[in-house]
Amino acid sequence: MSLRKRLIVSMLTILALLCVNVGTHFWGSLARNQSMVAYRDSVRAGQLSDEIERLLEDQRQQVLVLALLKETTGDKLGASEQQAALDNIESINRKVLSLGRLSWDDTEKTYQNLKNSNDQLLEQWSQFYERYNDEELQIDVENPLLYLETNQQLDALKQEQSKIAVGRASIIDSTIKLTDRITVLAFVTTLFLTFLLGFILVRYTNRSFKRLQKGTELIGAGDLSFRIQTADQSGELAELGRAFNDMSEKLANAIGEVQMAKEQADSANAAKSTFLANVSHELRTPLNAIIGYSEMIQEEVNDGEVINKDQLQEDLTKIVFSGRQLLSLINDVLDLAKIETGKMTIHLERFDPIATLHTVAGSMAPLLNTQGNTMHWDMQASLPHIQSDATKFRQIITNLLSNANKFTESGTITIKAGSNEIQDQIWVEVHDTGIGMTEDQLGRIFEAFEQAERSTSSRYGGTGLGLSLCQEFAHMLGGYIRASSTPNVGSSFTVTLPVTLELDPEDA
Amino acid sequence: MSTKLLLVEDNELNRDMLTRRLIRKGFEVVTAEDGLEALEKMRQYHPDVVLMDLNLPILSGWEACKIAANDPDLADIPMLALTAHALEKELKKALDAGCKDYATKPIDFPVLLRKIAGLLNP
Repeated sequence: MSLRKRLIVSMLTILALLCVNVGTHFWGSLARNQSMVAYRDSVRAGQLSDEIERLLEDQRQQVLVLALLKETTGDKLGASEQQAALDNIESINRKVLSLGRLSWDDTEKTYQNLKNSNDQLLEQWSQFYERYNDEELQIDVENPLLYLETNQQLDALKQEQSKIAVGRASIIDSTIKLTDRITVLAFVTTLFLTFLLGFILVRYTNRSFKRLQKGTELIGAGDLSFRIQTADQSGELAELGRAFNDMSEKLANAIGEVQMAKEQADSANAAKSTFLANVSHELRTPLNAIIGYSEMIQEEVNDGEVINKDQLQEDLTKIVFSGRQLLSLINDVLDLAKIETGKMTIHLERFDPIATLHTVAGSMAPLLNTQGNTMHWDMQASLPHIQSDATKFRQIITNLLSNANKFTESGTITIKAGSNEIQDQIWVEVHDTGIGMTEDQLGRIFEAFEQAERSTSSRYGGTGLGLSLCQEFAHMLGGYIRASSTPNVGSSFTVTLPVTLELDPEDA
Repeated sequence: MSTKLLLVEDNELNRDMLTRRLIRKGFEVVTAEDGLEALEKMRQYHPDVVLMDLNLPILSGWEACKIAANDPDLADIPMLALTAHALEKELKKALDAGCKDYATKPIDFPVLLRKIAGLLNP
């Protein structure tokens, strides 16, 4: 459960308990007040009953006295006295009505009885007074039946009223006791719950924060694989934990990427160093021959020896050979650097690949003769003109022919060419019957400074950059070179190029 | 009796050039083209000094030096590494393999002669 939910539930619980307390208080007050009113009414009714009893008794005495006087003396009653007596009776009547207003349902029956007999009694008395001065007054006021009846009813009512008063008083007592009990209970419960909820909340918060703290410390110390386990799956603290976990995961990813980038940069750097070391190595080998032979010739001249012209010619040829090897190495390295820095440009033109092949082969013919090789042609009837870079195409073919010648002695070099109309490509294959290569050697020949054999360079010359460059050129022209070979049988290199090379606007 | 040298070098031009220059200086020179041949020639001729190229086919110069240095019959023959590798790391590898000294290509001939002399008269 979330921290917010926990807080809200706690607050609501405490609030509910407070409401119970306040409600109890109000209900208690109301109940007490109601009972108090009833109690007061009962007491008032008791007092009123006493008063009516006394008044009735006084009135009866008066009536009895007057009746006796009339019988014995025959005195008349004055108008004012008559009126005062009637007023007294009326006052009694009003008090009885008041008593009625204080009556409750449970005393209603008794009150009605009282009222009936009282009405009759008062009616009798009223007539007694009104007709007192008449001679033939025949009202039996001395008969106590009505008076006693009324008195009895009044007593009964009083008893009932007092019983009600006692009942009300006990209700008040028990109400007070009940509300007190509820109030205390609710207060204690509120207190207990407040502490309990507070304790749970503090413990939960503490535990969650401790986990967060431990997690952030571990993550901060570098353990990015650590994941914070929050006490809950939902809620603010769980979200905070998840945010920390996300952060450490992203951090780990970022560090991984940086690490990878660094490794890539390192390996690129290492490749550059290796390349440089290889270039240095490859430069020193022909330089060694050039400097060595030159110094030797100097020595021979300085020593005043008889110089063998043929020997000198041979040595000078070796110097020139090494010099040329050095030059081609430098050119190849520059070309590779150009390709790598993206400065090698392509010059598009439309040309006839067969004508170009013949030109290249023609210029290679003298070289072929030195190795005793013969050249064969195996051309498809017609090849489409292609749109490509003629210079690079020539370089590729020259290199492949030169390689084929280099590794073949008194053999055959075959140039095959054809087109693949479906894929809009042409292909040129240079096949030789030379020393060939093993699978393993074949796998390395396109890598810079790699030759099939370490000894190849010294035995056959070459820088180990030629095929690597050819492959790069072929890629630039939208094509590729594939090689196949069998040791001691021969090798075959096939260049495949698109008929129409389109340049990306960016590269053009 | 002239000093006998074994020149191990796979590059034909360099082998030819160095052989002729050393012969001109009065050395007797035996040549080998790979590490295996070098070991055979060492056993056969027991040269006074071996000049060993390190990049060799079949058996590399480093391997040949290690084998020679651990062979009781050959261990006393001083070996001098010839290498086109100019990096410290490569040179240290040569010394670790058992070479007494090294010369980098292009060879400074007078320096090479001094080093050979140094190995002959320690």
